[in-house]
Amino acid sequence: MNGLKLMGDHEKFKRGMEVFLKHPDFSVGTTPSEIVYIEDKMRLIHYLPTVDTPHPVPVLIVYALVNRYYILDLQPDKSVIKKLLEEGFDVYLIDWGYPAGADRYLTLDDYVNGYINTAVDKVIERSGLDKITLFGVCQGGTLSVMYAALHPEKVKNLVTLVTPVHFDTDKGLLHIWAKSLDVDKIVDYYGIVPGDFLNVGFLLTDPFRTMIDKYVGLFERLECEPGDMECQVRNEETVKNFLRMEKWIFDSPDQAGETFRQFLKDCYQKNLLIKNEMVLGGKRIDLKHITMPLLNVMAEFDHLVPNDASIPLSDAVSSTDKATLVFPTGHIGIFVGSKSQKEVCPRIAAWLKPRSLPDGAKKERAAPGRSRRKEKIPPPRKRK
Amino acid sequence: MEKFNPESTFESTQEYFDLWLKTYQATLGRLVEMPATGPAREKSEKMMKVFSSLVSLNRAWMESNTDLHMVFMEAMRRVREKKAEGMEGELSPERYKDFYKIWIETYSETFHEFLKSGHFTSDMGRFLSHFIEFQKLNREVLEENYLKPMNLPTKTEIDGINKELYSLRKTVKELTRQVHELSKKS
Repeated sequence: MNGLKLMGDHEKFKRGMEVFLKHPDFSVGTTPSEIVYIEDKMRLIHYLPTVDTPHPVPVLIVYALVNRYYILDLQPDKSVIKKLLEEGFDVYLIDWGYPAGADRYLTLDDYVNGYINTAVDKVIERSGLDKITLFGVCQGGTLSVMYAALHPEKVKNLVTLVTPVHFDTDKGLLHIWAKSLDVDKIVDYYGIVPGDFLNVGFLLTDPFRTMIDKYVGLFERLECEPGDMECQVRNEETVKNFLRMEKWIFDSPDQAGETFRQFLKDCYQKNLLIKNEMVLGGKRIDLKHITMPLLNVMAEFDHLVPNDASIPLSDAVSSTDKATLVFPTGHIGIFVGSKSQKEVCPRIAAWLKPRSLPDGAKKERAAPGRSRRKEKIPPPRKRK
Repeated sequence: MEKFNPESTFESTQEYFDLWLKTYQATLGRLVEMPATGPAREKSEKMMKVFSSLVSLNRAWMESNTDLHMVFMEAMRRVREKKAEGMEGELSPERYKDFYKIWIETYSETFHEFLKSGHFTSDMGRFLSHFIEFQKLNREVLEENYLKPMNLPTKTEIDGINKELYSLRKTVKELTRQVHELSKKS
């Protein structure tokens, strides 16, 4: 019995290795798109609409600086972007690229009042409207919050997805560690802070699962009897999905030093943003200037951006039309989990659709979220 | 988290290192810290600083390692306890998966406690600080001894050029914006 079991496990491992040895071809970010603007390393991507008449107000997605945007378009059946297009939105996204050389001197002001502002202007110009929907993801959400507070006249709706704004919490390891980092020493030495440096931090938040269990889990999922070709195809797909995620996790852009310095010091160490004391380009960021409709979306089991870091946004802004959605998933699961396709995107779309008409246009039926309520999505019932 | 106090063979390694460090500080360390003289004093002093910094880095590394080792020991102790509670008898291949589950969960939990503690935070801060200091001094020596004699640009010089480039880009962008505004008005 033991021998048979061992042989079975060996076969499973062998078949998994066979898939790897075939050099499986996998791609990420495949939703059709065009580059509509380039400035330095920043590219403004426009995704080609998949409906005849998209909702008039375009959506500009601002992703984090610390990872690559294509987690939102990892593969066709796990794509926030594709889902938003299917829901009828006209979607743009900022790709920050890979900072190098002179980018070490880029400041948060350059990112927020420079690149984001230019991207917003370009989208406004192309849409012919005065305002757009700003859709910030993770750290990109924090930048979007800063932008919306400084340029409220250009933002029709603000959607924040797993976005930290209140950094003084001990719920997440990153928040705890960041407080003791000698940021000046790091930035002064590196200039451009290596992406791998940050990656070590992300991996350390759960070292045994991220560096061991994940790989064990992959081979556990490869279950095939010899000669079962259909199953072998499924195996290949499992491996490709795994490799897509693996590529994303370790595709970590280096960070512009001055931006890293200010973000760590002002946000993580001094928590200035939520106190309305943070200054960008000589202007104080007052979150009370955020008056547009706000949708704050978070993941209940987020170990990188704990809910405590996101929740206070709703009370910090002046918006009267605001809603909070909490999904029973994790920081990455909210983008690529099956729930993301079935629940997260549709719920965001449902909130956004009636608010995606130009000012003065006749409004559609009021959608959920016209209140200060916080809604928690219950976990799906387990199948018996 | 309670301070871990398992019986550890690592303690003797720590003791050995402490002894080495004391001896170093009393002997070679004093020579290393001594002011250099002569025509090559600048270079020599920088080289000695690198050496001294490496010793500090090793010290921080050893302290971090000691703490990490204690966490590993504690995690192992907890795994042993849980295995004794839930898995009696010989560990057959069929039950290996159960054991693996206990192992990964226990190690994850135990390390999470440690990673959340002020102990790890200060360990990490200190180690990182020494690591960067060592790298910085090492780079300076490399630049001084190899790049400059070969007339190759140093990091400081490249940083200067990058700063200039950044500032030029910013000026160009601002001027372009102003031209655009003026052309819209006219």
